[in-house]
Amino acid sequence: MIEIIISYREAFLQGLLVTLKLSLTIWSLGLILGGAIGILETKWKKSIGMLSRALAFIISGIPVLVFLFWLHYPLQALAGVVIDPFYTAALTLTIVNVFAVAGIVRHGISELPSQYIETARVCGLRPYKILRRVQLPMVLRHIIPSLLETQVNMLHLTLFASLISVNEIFRMAQRVNAIVYKPVEVYSALGMFFLLVCLPLNGLALYLKQKFSRDISEK
Amino acid sequence: MLYGENIYKAFGQKAILANVNITVEKGEAVVLTGPSGGGKTTLLRCLSLLEAPDSGSVEVDGSFYKFSQGIGARTDFPYPYLTIVFQQLFLWPHLTNRDNILLSLQNFGEREQEYLNHLINHFEMKDFIDNYPNQSSLGQKQRVALTRALILDPKYILLDEATSALDDDRAGRVVEELIALKKKGMGILLITHSLDLAKQVGDRFYKLEKSSLREIFRI
Repeated sequence: MIEIIISYREAFLQGLLVTLKLSLTIWSLGLILGGAIGILETKWKKSIGMLSRALAFIISGIPVLVFLFWLHYPLQALAGVVIDPFYTAALTLTIVNVFAVAGIVRHGISELPSQYIETARVCGLRPYKILRRVQLPMVLRHIIPSLLETQVNMLHLTLFASLISVNEIFRMAQRVNAIVYKPVEVYSALGMFFLLVCLPLNGLALYLKQKFSRDISEK
Repeated sequence: MLYGENIYKAFGQKAILANVNITVEKGEAVVLTGPSGGGKTTLLRCLSLLEAPDSGSVEVDGSFYKFSQGIGARTDFPYPYLTIVFQQLFLWPHLTNRDNILLSLQNFGEREQEYLNHLINHFEMKDFIDNYPNQSSLGQKQRVALTRALILDPKYILLDEATSALDDDRAGRVVEELIALKKKGMGILLITHSLDLAKQVGDRFYKLEKSSLREIFRI
């Protein structure tokens, strides 16, 4: 297995870089835009909230692969444009991530018992300090584990990009396997890579979940 | 003077508070009793301006708060001049007991340090002051929540079953402190089911029953 990785290190490295670039794009845009939409949803429940939840509901009913293929083939054919598959994959998975993150953020904010904020108010805390010292830390502790788990899932979903010819790590592994035909070694190496990246993230999510699960049940 | 005038509050068709009038003078303790679910906590929430009655007004030392414009219409709520300790306490779970107490203080000067030391000794909190709320018993949390309110030097304090989990000895210490604060001019409104506690600290006694408030006893 090591020999194959060393022999085809440039191919694996290239695939790894594309996967990381794709993941970083999806993670950063998803967290920033999803976080913003989640906050706006709780502020304007009837306008932005309803629209966002409706869109999330529709997207949740479409398999990611179908969504990706639809954006890659029919939409581009209808529009008469050809877009680099990397950007199509990034756009598709970012949309999925944005609504996933928005849902987590909205849920985290609305699930925080309002009495904690009321208590801060009657103690004379100013709104900015309430946000910074009470609301934000409590909401973040509540949602960070779910956000981490979601980002790990998004990393897994980047493999779909290989199906529209993005040269990410899975596609590179397939191409190497086509040359050497050693599927056990090649896909074991791929599995090891994902374990090395995903297990620490999942472990961190589990640790934070346990660490931050302080009693907030005093509703 | 804290004065709730003609406070009317209904949930659906059912009136919880039917034109209730109540006053709390500085330097006196008013005890509120009545059956569970009778609206005592709702009255406290209306008096502390956290909940808007359907009609009526609240006066705090000459400042009037009317509710026809909704609870969010005014931002000059007199916190922590008037403060409240909720029955469920709502200690912020991500902060230690000590930080819960200190967070709301604008200044932590000599007076606050001295008073905090006094309360830590008097309420016997030394052993758990640096624990997190979820590492503390209900009785311990009650003492922390009381301290969090008292250290703010409020002129009016509303206590909702604030000693229900304390043993006689520790409840007695709370009573001693409340009597001392009353003598210094603090107005106290106390919901309790403990007649012993009520008799020791109270000056006037009200019963809230069938949405009406009546004075039942005066010392």
